[in-house]
Amino acid sequence: MMALGTTEKAELLGRSELFEGAPAAALGRLAERAGERSFADGEYLVRQGQAGTGLWVIVSGSARVVRGSEELSHLGPGQFLGELAVIDQQPRLASVVATGPTVALGLASWDLFAEVEKDPELAAAMLRGLAHRLRQVIGEAHH
Amino acid sequence: MAEVTPPPGGESPAGVERPFPPGKYPVIVVGSGPGGLQLSYCLTRLGIGHAVLSRDPAPGGMFRRFPFFQRLLSWTKAYAPAERGTRAYERYDWNSLLAEEAADQAVMVDLMDGTSEFPSRPEMEAGLLEFASRTGIRVRYDCEWLGTGREEGPDGERFVVETSDGPYRCRLLVLAVGVAQAWKPDTPGMELVPHYVDTRAAESYAGKRLFIVGKQNSGFELANGLLSYARRIVLASPRPARTSIETNSLVGIRARYVQPVEDHIMASGVHILSASIERVERRGDAFTVHTRTTDGGLALAVEADEVIAATGFTTPLLDLPGLGVATSGQSRLPAQTDFWESATLPGVYFAGTITQGAKGPQKYGIPSNSGAVHGHRYNGRILARHIAERHFGAQLPRRAIAPADLVAHLADEATNAPELWNQKGYLASVVLRGADGGWHDEGILPLAHFADAGGPDGIGVIVEGDPQGVIRPAIYVRRAGNVEEVLLDPHPLHDFASRDHRHALERLVAERFA
Amino acid sequence: MADSDELIDELAKLALFADLDEPQLRAVAHIFEEAWYAADTRLLRQGIGGSGFYVILEGEVAVVIDGEERARLTRGDYFGEVAILLGERPVADVVAQGPLRVLHLAGQDLHSFLLTYPRVTYRVLVEQTRRLRNANRWRR
Repeated sequence: MMALGTTEKAELLGRSELFEGAPAAALGRLAERAGERSFADGEYLVRQGQAGTGLWVIVSGSARVVRGSEELSHLGPGQFLGELAVIDQQPRLASVVATGPTVALGLASWDLFAEVEKDPELAAAMLRGLAHRLRQVIGEAHH
Repeated sequence: MAEVTPPPGGESPAGVERPFPPGKYPVIVVGSGPGGLQLSYCLTRLGIGHAVLSRDPAPGGMFRRFPFFQRLLSWTKAYAPAERGTRAYERYDWNSLLAEEAADQAVMVDLMDGTSEFPSRPEMEAGLLEFASRTGIRVRYDCEWLGTGREEGPDGERFVVETSDGPYRCRLLVLAVGVAQAWKPDTPGMELVPHYVDTRAAESYAGKRLFIVGKQNSGFELANGLLSYARRIVLASPRPARTSIETNSLVGIRARYVQPVEDHIMASGVHILSASIERVERRGDAFTVHTRTTDGGLALAVEADEVIAATGFTTPLLDLPGLGVATSGQSRLPAQTDFWESATLPGVYFAGTITQGAKGPQKYGIPSNSGAVHGHRYNGRILARHIAERHFGAQLPRRAIAPADLVAHLADEATNAPELWNQKGYLASVVLRGADGGWHDEGILPLAHFADAGGPDGIGVIVEGDPQGVIRPAIYVRRAGNVEEVLLDPHPLHDFASRDHRHALERLVAERFA
Repeated sequence: MADSDELIDELAKLALFADLDEPQLRAVAHIFEEAWYAADTRLLRQGIGGSGFYVILEGEVAVVIDGEERARLTRGDYFGEVAILLGERPVADVVAQGPLRVLHLAGQDLHSFLLTYPRVTYRVLVEQTRRLRNANRWRR
């Protein structure tokens, strides 16, 4: 499996709603800090109840989202988990387990903190993304 | 000997020379500055009996003393885009009080000597005196308000107003006493520093190093007035000074007082500091002002021969806070409803510059112009009508507007109504829809009231200016209790009755009131 | 007064400003305006633009959507940033429930404030995330 270059990593990260409108330079720096990891079948990407330390985006393969014994959903290439945990580090609400060989790109909270401090425009973009999402969710709840 | 009429509603004997002897009145107005005078004029025209008490010997309020050196910051244009004698002209005359008869309108125009569109202080004082005498406003002068109480009367609760002439009783009390009480912070040494109100003749500052505490308009008024006398002028306060040109509003240093800013930029003897004052020391004839800069916290000791505290004023409400009138902020402005009634003690109202405490929506953080005559004179007129209708059962007629005339009316108000232009974002011109679908003119109301209070379906139109200086009309449509905001386009010459504007209004009305 | 030590102490206790040092707190105290509102005053109005950003120092507000109370906010809480960040009108009324003391920042000044104080921005990010988590929970 070929390792991803920075540009491809940036492109992948940029697909998250969280980073919509983020400055390209900031995305590039985040991509430099993001690391790829391979998971064997049955290996946990995250465990339910553990403090969240970052986000993952699936590069190849797939994973099951499991809460207790209940299977909630599947994640495939390009899909994210932990977009909120990367910011607030709240405990994971579910476990995510690789089904078959899986590669995922991970961005740690502390790396995101460091970038946000350096590039306030990145934070502003993320705030807007969250605010937009919040509006949508509130809107759905009341109509 | 002039005919002496008994005070309206009074229980005391007639035949006294000064009007309004101690007794019982439906309404008492305290203060004879522009706020008190305007309200009294309007109450009289509405037939509401009231007494006006003032501790001053003559009308004018704060204009009897201030500003010291400069002309006023408000203009009266002898030649303006609107014809004199029309309602639209009021927008260009910020200093005259409002009157119904043409002969009593725009008093300031003829009174000013024509050398400037800004009246001098004596001209403003003379103008208020002229208005009072022309329109027959009666005031009991040299009667000082000393205290207030509440008691149970035969018709319900009433106020007891203690004065230097004895006690008065009333159902409603209106304070138009100005934000007139000098205030200094209790910084160590500040007691040694004279306040703005004690500033001496300009010549007495010749050759002195001057330190002015405060960078609001009063501080810059002094700096401007003493620029050709003081050897050096330092102005200091924690926040940076902004000019009105920068804020695109009347917030900040007004253009008339900007000369010291240019001097500071050219380092020609004026220094404008963003610094807090930590303490003031006096050694012999000189002062040392210990400051700390806001950014960086650098300690800076400044030597000066003269120090003046241009640190503002508070509202002299005497014992009213103890009676229940909530106040807040450095100026101790009373908390007010949208109709300038105390938010915490019903029956106490405010007129004049104190009405700046009713903030309204403050869109974009821009305040109303209620602190100035051209703003609060409209508040006074609305208040008089509100008091008449709410407390005295007056039923004032509302002009019907034919459906075919509705859009033209709204467009004309947006373009020409002086209330909307002098109180941008604060006062609205309102039309209401009757149950039969017909429209009538509800007149000028506070925007906050129209937006918040609910009521019949209707439309409110305001003019607003945004922080970038763009001025546009805004329409508020109230239907079934909900309010919708629609911003219309600006226009380079502010013609909001243009064809495009009228079309936009037509579409709006048709869509929402089909 | 805005530069009083008391106000600085107050700000230091708010979670929003917890990562700022004293000179920064002093600067923040001067960027905001302290403001007071009587009970029932509306600070934000559903559907009406030009609103600001507020941090509550004392008192309580209710967040009301279509006439129904959705939440209460109190000391240390803040509101108004969503409408400003999105350039849209507020979707809720925010109404003072009693005498209220706040720090107020005009909408057009929020962006530069957040850019100047990234640690505050980070706190707002974390809070936004928390609110989104809560909102998501309601949906399920």
